[in-house]
Amino acid sequence: MEITTATRDGATILSVAGRIDTVTAPALEQAINKEIERGNRKILLNFSAVSYISSGGLRVLLATAKKLKNPGDKYALCSLAAEVNKILKLAGFTTIFFIYPSEGEALAGW
Amino acid sequence: MPGGDAPLLSLSWHPVPGAPGARIYPLIRKIDTISSNSYLIQTDDVILLIDPGGLAEQSAQLALVIEEIREDHDRPVFVFLTHAHLDHFFGTLCTPAFAHPDIAVFAVQEAGAAALERGDGKLTQADLFGQTISPVRIGLHLITDERSSCAVPIPLAFSNGATVTITRGQTRVGPAQERIQFGAGPSLEVYHTPGHSPDSICIRMGGLLCIGDVLFAANPGIAGLCGWDQLALIHSLDGIEALIADGGIDFILPGHGRVITAADAVRMFVAIRSDALALENIAELNHERAIETAAFAEDCMEQVNELFTIMAGRLYYVSYVMEELGEDDVAEEVSRLIKGDVIDELLEAFRSFAEEHHKRSGVSIHLALKAGQVITKLERSFDGAELAHIIDPALARRAARLLSDYTTMLRGFCPPSELAECDLVRHLEALVTGLSVPSCSDDDLLSSDDDDSTFTRLLLRRIGMQPLLSDVEFSFSAAEKHIVAAVDRDDLTDLITYILEDLVGTGADAITLQINRDDNNAIITLRGTVCTASDAMKTGGGFLGRLCDRAGGTLTSATDGKQREYTIRIGGLI
Repeated sequence: MEITTATRDGATILSVAGRIDTVTAPALEQAINKEIERGNRKILLNFSAVSYISSGGLRVLLATAKKLKNPGDKYALCSLAAEVNKILKLAGFTTIFFIYPSEGEALAGW
Repeated sequence: MPGGDAPLLSLSWHPVPGAPGARIYPLIRKIDTISSNSYLIQTDDVILLIDPGGLAEQSAQLALVIEEIREDHDRPVFVFLTHAHLDHFFGTLCTPAFAHPDIAVFAVQEAGAAALERGDGKLTQADLFGQTISPVRIGLHLITDERSSCAVPIPLAFSNGATVTITRGQTRVGPAQERIQFGAGPSLEVYHTPGHSPDSICIRMGGLLCIGDVLFAANPGIAGLCGWDQLALIHSLDGIEALIADGGIDFILPGHGRVITAADAVRMFVAIRSDALALENIAELNHERAIETAAFAEDCMEQVNELFTIMAGRLYYVSYVMEELGEDDVAEEVSRLIKGDVIDELLEAFRSFAEEHHKRSGVSIHLALKAGQVITKLERSFDGAELAHIIDPALARRAARLLSDYTTMLRGFCPPSELAECDLVRHLEALVTGLSVPSCSDDDLLSSDDDDSTFTRLLLRRIGMQPLLSDVEFSFSAAEKHIVAAVDRDDLTDLITYILEDLVGTGADAITLQINRDDNNAIITLRGTVCTASDAMKTGGGFLGRLCDRAGGTLTSATDGKQREYTIRIGGLI
């Protein structure tokens, strides 16, 4: 798994590529936490290159949602592959945070 | 010397209880299908190697130990096989120390000896593991028909200089038996215990009994191997148990895994007998079935992966919401209902194994057995009944059925398919209704507010069980009021649920389910609009295709980018 971080329109975008599994989920959590600790509280996860997410990955997404719930905080996912979208949808996660088709559409609402 | 229940430590010499002057050097391996344990015994008169194993390095390691003790005191060497399966002897074929009958004489039960001498790929399981074997010369055939009626000791001389005396007998308690006397030292008793294979024998010296693979003979992926015989196995279990009951046997030395006490073995035999009794008419586990089972394993594991991730995710979601509501204790309790980390690790272990398997063009039976191992552990990692109080019971039910179907197939049976008359219109209408309304209504919640625990239980259910079709525009239609066909209801229910999940999960905003009649066929069409591409479309011979076959129909699918359609054709309307 690879994570690239960029800033756009005041938001921190973490673009993730590869599998988020039992081995890589901690690295994703660490990368997100690092940004939050730096004071970046508008986090967009671009999952366009994520092919798989395990339950460990889902836990990281929820843990992040718990950290970013102050007024003014923003947290969303975008560009999900069909298989990943299916897991999030059927697990009920789409009611917790927003999922957008693209980065542009996500940031337009922020 | 093993005292009490102390095990025999691997790779060190121990006196053999009840056999003065004899010492044993066990080589105990972690259980796998590649190589067995080995047991090296020395007396003043002979060196006996029981099951040299499937790996060349293991045989070479044992050859070195034999060389050392022969330097100390030269004696003839015999290699006994508890049975002629590849994992018990293959390593010797490329180990020079075992290549010459002048040095090492192989001793195998008559049926196994014949198989080895003709290089039989089936009985030795070489075909199953993608290996070929050259004919192996067997110097001593054990428990032969020829000696069956001869009660007097027979002296035999061998190319390695040994002279032995063999006495045939029938034990008081059952199995055919031969006593082999090497000089003046302790004798070796050999008992014919077929079942796992026709040539399986147990080998006893003093208080130790080597039993080959009896402990695993009823296991999925092992039962049904070429030469496996259910009735013979049960009979042999009775015989071995009676031998133990007769007294004098302290430890059981299995072909795989740790040494156990005789008392533990007897306890295990109860379960093995019960498993074996359930294995009537299983299919032979051959190369073709191993390929089929491995393919099913991969399909199955892909679905298992998805279902378990969704179940775990749903529980995390419920836990998250309860935490938001300030119910931290309940949240904690809910998140503990499934061992997400354990499941992730198991699934990851299988994925890595499968990836490596394909990279190296591995042997199908290994992949099938690995899936079996992972599935057994997965079955222990969740409590379907408990989960069904919180999340959609169909999720846990389908997961449990997938695991059980795989185990069934690995055991040598076809996953069950029970075709029965079914009114498709009523059945599917009831199914989609169940997928459209919450299992816990507002009224249910409000009427329980006096009772905290009932309220919490209903609240959890309300949060955890989100109707699959609640957020999509869904329509159901049937050309006739009743369309009756022979289907397996459970499989059809699962199939339709998997397809609807795929359509919902990949973003369909409108879904239709239609049932029509076409001549003598029922046609069920599920259509979703604006779905993104998904792997579930690979239905040809894949998971959904196979499930549809078992349900009693055939499945096709099509997509035009914006619309996805699955068609189930069920023949023979009633």
